[in-house]
Amino acid sequence: MNITHKAIEQGIRVAIEGRIDTTNYNEFEQAMNLLFEEKTKAIYLDCSGLSYISSSGLRVFLTVQKKMMATGGKFLLFSMQPTIKEIFDISGFSSIFSIFDTEESALQHSPV
Amino acid sequence: MRTNRLSFKIIIRILTFTILLGASIFSIYYYYSRTEIEKSARENAVFLAENTIKKIEEVIRPAEMIPNNLSWMLESGSIPKDSILPFLAKLVRNNPIIYASAIAFEPGVFDSDVDAYAPYAYRKGDGIETIDLWSPDYNYFIMDWYQIPAMLKTSYWSEPYYDEGGADALLSTYSMPFYVDKQGERVFGGIITIDISLEWLTEIVRSVRIFETGYAFLISRAGVYVTHPEVNLIKNHTIFTRADELNEPELRTIGRDMIRGEQALTSIDLEHLGYVWIYHTQLPSTRWSLGVVYPHKEMFAGLHKLTLTIILLTIFGLALLLFLTIRIINHQISPLAKFASSARSIASGDFKTELPHVGNSLEMQDLYNSFDYMKKELAQYIAHLQETTSAKEKIESELRIAKEIQMGMIPHIFPPFPDLPEIDLYATLLSAKEVGGDLYDFFLLDDSRICFAIGDVSGKGIPASLFMAVTRTLLRSTADKDKSTAEIVTSINKTLSLNNESNMFVTFFLGILDIQNGVLKYCNAGHNPPILIRNKTDVRFFNITKAIPVGLFEMYEYTEESILIDPTDQIFLYTDGLSEAEDVDHNLFGDEYLLEVIRQNASASPRSMIEAATKAVADHVKGHTQSDDLTMMSINYYGKRNL
Repeated sequence: MNITHKAIEQGIRVAIEGRIDTTNYNEFEQAMNLLFEEKTKAIYLDCSGLSYISSSGLRVFLTVQKKMMATGGKFLLFSMQPTIKEIFDISGFSSIFSIFDTEESALQHSPV
Repeated sequence: MRTNRLSFKIIIRILTFTILLGASIFSIYYYYSRTEIEKSARENAVFLAENTIKKIEEVIRPAEMIPNNLSWMLESGSIPKDSILPFLAKLVRNNPIIYASAIAFEPGVFDSDVDAYAPYAYRKGDGIETIDLWSPDYNYFIMDWYQIPAMLKTSYWSEPYYDEGGADALLSTYSMPFYVDKQGERVFGGIITIDISLEWLTEIVRSVRIFETGYAFLISRAGVYVTHPEVNLIKNHTIFTRADELNEPELRTIGRDMIRGEQALTSIDLEHLGYVWIYHTQLPSTRWSLGVVYPHKEMFAGLHKLTLTIILLTIFGLALLLFLTIRIINHQISPLAKFASSARSIASGDFKTELPHVGNSLEMQDLYNSFDYMKKELAQYIAHLQETTSAKEKIESELRIAKEIQMGMIPHIFPPFPDLPEIDLYATLLSAKEVGGDLYDFFLLDDSRICFAIGDVSGKGIPASLFMAVTRTLLRSTADKDKSTAEIVTSINKTLSLNNESNMFVTFFLGILDIQNGVLKYCNAGHNPPILIRNKTDVRFFNITKAIPVGLFEMYEYTEESILIDPTDQIFLYTDGLSEAEDVDHNLFGDEYLLEVIRQNASASPRSMIEAATKAVADHVKGHTQSDDLTMMSINYYGKRNL
């Protein structure tokens, strides 16, 4: 798993590559916790490189979502691979998260 | 013997090196010494010979001066005729080296009417006698001492001869021509002689001593021995007769060189003397030749003696070195054997083993410290290991108990409802770890309705297992015959969502099947859609309304769905431990393959179907460690049977 991030006009753009499973979900969680310290209004998560996610990983996604909601910020996911999208669909998470097909569509959905 | 073997190796190396070094140093020393000795022997031989010759010449030259002066006096006529005899007597008396002296006149020289006159003075006893040599029996004109210098017109030293009855000594005569003035013309007047005893000469030459057996000898122009350590050779032998006698042709060659007056250093192997050097040179006055004999063996005797001493000392030194080296090495490495025994003792678990005393060598100290460190570390490590092992065993035992408790929470007696012929139900739960986050449950709500559920807690292990236990407990406490599936799930969600700081969640499928009429009401909270097998042939996923897992948002309202199950229809529920089982290369088992496996086993009993799916997963992962809990449940509905 490889996590990179950069500041953009609308907030922070995070790219995640590889797998999030029971062996490394805590790395992902720590990386996201560091981002919260920057008190950004929006986190844009590029999921194009995400090849697998376990339920432990989904839990971290939920944590991020809840924290962003608590501060009035937004957590936007985009460019999900079909297999990942399917997991989100099956588990009903698609209804919890803001998921966009492309980066452009996610960026257009600017935080208020 | 192990220590000995090491010391042996070291000693062999040291000895080999020492011997090679010593041998090469000694060889070089020996070579140069030999060369030096030869060189100095050569120089010494020359010096000895020259010195001897000088000593001889110092005697002979003044002796030769006497007839010279006499000849001059005769030529100038400064000696009156009647005083010649007393003059000669006086001359002999005053010169101890001269044994006798004569003046032999040519006819008519002494006096015109005297044909032969040879006044002669010689020693007899303590006095001097004078006579006229000439007599009819002794015609001096034909004697060698007269004839040869008279003819050669030069002075002449005779061969040595023994004067019996007179001097009783070895003599040599020096003859010298003199001239007189006769009517204004310088004519040959006769011969002046002096007889010199050669005893002193013998003394001088005999005093030359070289080592033990080396000596000097003198031969005359004819090769006759004038002096020689072997006295009987003198006068009686020439070097050539000696060479014949000894059968040494090389000696003859040397003799020829000697009488030719050559100066040379020749080496020759003589049978009676061994290998010798002979240096020979000529006496300028008498033209006799002096030989100096250098015994080769004795020349190097000192060196050989020294060599022997050095070799003996070296052997002794090496023996001492060997002894000391063995002592030192054995002393130094003896702790190694003790270390080995200590190490064995430590290895067997005795950490109180005393380490051997090691002396003060740095290496051994270092080894001692390392061993000591190892011993302490091992003791500490073993103690720590025992501690952690016991702690781990404790945890494992607790986990085993936890597993038993957890497994005790889910029903696992099959068939579960032997009194209900309408359904057959089978379920399994395989945790990836001791305890897991999967759950299934089923129970009767009333006479005709069976409630069943399957769920998967996010994550694994103890946190998941606790969450699972809570969920299952909530299910049992919440479910009753008056609630719909949606109400039960919503209720569980509400309770779980409260204070769920860790954001754990459960995907949950809850179904209630009325076995009287086949109505299946269900609520799915984000769980994998179960598979419906209709008529033992048609296999498909349930149509599911999307809903989020339980435990996330307390206000979430779940909805219930309904489907009619026909007799013989079967349902198959599972967790993602099945659909997302991965092989080594992370290839998922997959929904499509799952449907295929179920299709192939569509007519199987719930138990057989689950066993087939279990086998399919095992084949897929091929020994790859089970990464997630794997739970399956299958229910076969037979409908109301008339028994």
